[in-house]
Amino acid sequence: MVDLCSALLLLTCFAIVAQRRLSACVDLFALQSVFLAATAALVAFLTGIHHIYVAAALTVVIKAIVLPRILKKVIERLNVTRELQMNINVPAGLLICCALVILAFFITQPIIPLGFLLTRDSLAIALAIVLIGFFTMIARKKAVTQVVGFLVMENGLFLGATAAAYGMPLIVELGVFFDVLVAGLIVGIYTHRIQDAFDSVDTSKLTVLKE
Amino acid sequence: MTTPLSAAVIVFLGAPLLAGFLSLVIRNARLLHGVNLATMAALVVADMALTGRVLTLGPFTTLGDLVYVDALSAFILFIIAAIGLTCSLYTWSYLDDYVACGVVAPNRLSRFFFLFHLFLFAMIAATMANSLGVLWVAIEGTTLATTFLIAFFRKREGLEAGWKYLILCSVGIALALFGTVLTYYSSVRVLGDVSTALNVTKLLEVADRLDPHVLRVAFIFILVGYGTKVGLVPMHTWVPEAYSEAPAPVTAMLAGVLETVAAYAVLRSKMVMDQALPLGFTGNLLLLFGLVSFCVAALFILIQHDYKRLFAYSSIEHMGLAMVGFGVGGIAGTFGGLFHLLNHALAKSLAFFASGNIHRRFDTREIGEVRGLARVQPLTAVALLVAGLALVGMPPFSLFASEVLVVSALATQSFASDTLHFGQFVTVVISDEVRSLSIVAIFLVFAVALFGGFTYRLAAMAWGTPPDHVTRGEEWNVGHVPLIVTALMLVALGVALPERLKALLDQATSVLLVR
Repeated sequence: MVDLCSALLLLTCFAIVAQRRLSACVDLFALQSVFLAATAALVAFLTGIHHIYVAAALTVVIKAIVLPRILKKVIERLNVTRELQMNINVPAGLLICCALVILAFFITQPIIPLGFLLTRDSLAIALAIVLIGFFTMIARKKAVTQVVGFLVMENGLFLGATAAAYGMPLIVELGVFFDVLVAGLIVGIYTHRIQDAFDSVDTSKLTVLKE
Repeated sequence: MTTPLSAAVIVFLGAPLLAGFLSLVIRNARLLHGVNLATMAALVVADMALTGRVLTLGPFTTLGDLVYVDALSAFILFIIAAIGLTCSLYTWSYLDDYVACGVVAPNRLSRFFFLFHLFLFAMIAATMANSLGVLWVAIEGTTLATTFLIAFFRKREGLEAGWKYLILCSVGIALALFGTVLTYYSSVRVLGDVSTALNVTKLLEVADRLDPHVLRVAFIFILVGYGTKVGLVPMHTWVPEAYSEAPAPVTAMLAGVLETVAAYAVLRSKMVMDQALPLGFTGNLLLLFGLVSFCVAALFILIQHDYKRLFAYSSIEHMGLAMVGFGVGGIAGTFGGLFHLLNHALAKSLAFFASGNIHRRFDTREIGEVRGLARVQPLTAVALLVAGLALVGMPPFSLFASEVLVVSALATQSFASDTLHFGQFVTVVISDEVRSLSIVAIFLVFAVALFGGFTYRLAAMAWGTPPDHVTRGEEWNVGHVPLIVTALMLVALGVALPERLKALLDQATSVLLVR
């Protein structure tokens, strides 16, 4: 069951890589966060560890509602809907993502047999999601999609923590959520300022500073 | 736990928070600076109390096991407090100047100090955290607090630098979180699901039972993650940009203190993992990253034409050097590395204070356009030369002492195993002596290149005829106090190490060499 949920998370990752429309990317991220919360709740139910419920609830509130709203507002204000130019095109991107998934399974191979029975493959999937998020940040040019990539990475990390270790200590989890939320706010302000100063949110225009 | 001790800890954590929120309310510039200085003074006093306690009674935990302070964290706290104090003095004259000439609106001072104090708070929390998870949260907190400080002048270049800093460091640090998750994963299997399973104190107790496979992967992620923040090559690209765009006091804090705190995060993880991993695994990784950083930065220094970027690359180089010290390990290497962190913090903050003065007067960052500094700003010129000579490791200054320690440790060490393992993929087999001597030789060649590049550029700035549009003469103000104090400290520490500081360094060294 948990593996199935993790697989759904991975699937949304691929959808994000394939999606050109910015608002759809944000929607997909919100959907992914819902799956993540479901996974966490499932783990909490199966293991009977209560503080994972808190984390799941926070995931829904912050990552599926608040952050997507902020990002949508940014998109609306900036008036960018589609990403026409990418550093790497979609089919090549998907192929690279496949390679990343294989790499993730390869890296975690020596670790997996040690895990809890319930969530064995989730660690590999989590690492795969982290790597795909990382890749999204490299492949895309728009500030908003780069942020989505970062948040996808964060989701992967959270999945890793819940699945592999049944959640981090509560204080750490709260801190992480706080950081993510603040990072989201800061990015919102930043895109606004970049828009003002450069008349664009295309980060490939950020080339004043060079060697 | 005894009361004065907890009081010191509470002052450390509470003062910057309180000052931060006070700054939001206060509108008077003079009062803002006053609050800032009072906070720093409180930190220094608290630090004295803490250090004395740690020296006599050893490490302790307090505030319900959330805070763990040993000699290593006390030493880092000392750097934070000392550099924080000099930075605050410098900030006074620096910001007053900008407000006077209308570049910065007076009402934005509050926000500057608010972020500055939050930044300080995050660094102190990182240093005192018992849990590796809280350590991570605090380090990410420093990123978030500083990104607007870097873009404080709201120029295009500043925004660009701030954005790159935010993205690169957040991503880097996300990797460190994965490392932390893996560490937790391995400790939960020994300790069971307890909220203290990431605490340094707990991890040290059970370290020998942790799974080495998991920790190996975890340490690589942690090193790459926090290494981004330290500015190790190849994750260093944000460093020159952020350092050249940020206001000078912020840069001094970033270069002097933040890098040190990030290095502390690496060291703390190394200290735990060394217990479980085969000898030399973490050390060799640090050695590799350190050497690469040192050499690459030395090459970039040769082609710089912007003095702030010059100093930024020198930061990368010196952090590389300190990492080499920690990587080699042993008493000499570790002691040298720690001592080097302190010296670098002093010299680099002095360098950025001086370059802040130069930038305000000449209004350029090009080395070629700054001429005759000795006649325009004699005191700043002296500070620049002192910083420059210290940074290339000239004898009267303390960086010479720590560099010699690190290099001699590198030359005399016997590697733990016959092979350097870089993962399982590449294995280098050379005889011991040849290898360590050839590393030293490479090291020294780059050090010489660096010496030439640095002194040549700084000498060009100091002498010659100043351009006509630049006003000559330098008026005395409060911003000169930190220049003099820092320069004197660099000399003093180079000549003799105070008893107390030496004891602290010795204990911090033994903390890192527990096994």
